[in-house]
Amino acid sequence: MKEVVNDLEGLRAFLKEMIIETLKLEDVTAEEIGNDSPLFGDGLGLDSIDALELVVAIEKHFDVIIEDEDVGKRAFASIDALCEFIREQTVGG
Amino acid sequence: MRWVETEETVRFNEVDQWGMAWYGHYLAWFEVGRMALLRRFRLLPEDMVALGFIAPVIRVKCDYKHPASSGDRIVIRTSVVKPEIAALIFKFEILLKETRTLLAKGETTQVLLNTERKMIYRLRGEVEKRIHELVSYCREA
Repeated sequence: MKEVVNDLEGLRAFLKEMIIETLKLEDVTAEEIGNDSPLFGDGLGLDSIDALELVVAIEKHFDVIIEDEDVGKRAFASIDALCEFIREQTVGG
Repeated sequence: MRWVETEETVRFNEVDQWGMAWYGHYLAWFEVGRMALLRRFRLLPEDMVALGFIAPVIRVKCDYKHPASSGDRIVIRTSVVKPEIAALIFKFEILLKETRTLLAKGETTQVLLNTERKMIYRLRGEVEKRIHELVSYCREA
């Protein structure tokens, strides 16, 4: 998993697939998820339960904990924001 | 899965003009069952507030199987499923007491918000302990 974290393109692709798989988004492909478009609200339109599911998936794959909505707001702002958050939290890990 | 059972009587004012219990009342009966279970684990709304949380329902599912009539004694069966996520998921079954006929089955999902009304993504401390006890109790056969 460490190699994926260090490779931005690989990490983006991994996270897009992880989101689709975790949330069973049947109508969405990885290509349709923009790197800087919002995951919640106007973007992918995810809701609060989706956030809870993603938190569990991220913890499982990266051992990175997102405690609450305040942290989540930053981490889930976009795919690139999530990449940055995971990289920050796994530095030296 | 262990169920906690609570009994109620369908009141005259709870049936519609066809003589059947109105669909919205089933949610109120779910609430009766939920409170009975939460009380045992000191997780009632006021306990939650004392711990610094509120737990609003954000999802309800209900399948209606058979109508209830005014005066029917009903049994509300309530349990909790083990959550993978930081949420409380209750399961309900409502039966006719006399025949144990299934009238409805449903599910509610609650999330936890802190005092700033921000959602909690990870359960910790006393609230986590009490929810764990509740879930363990419901998992026992």
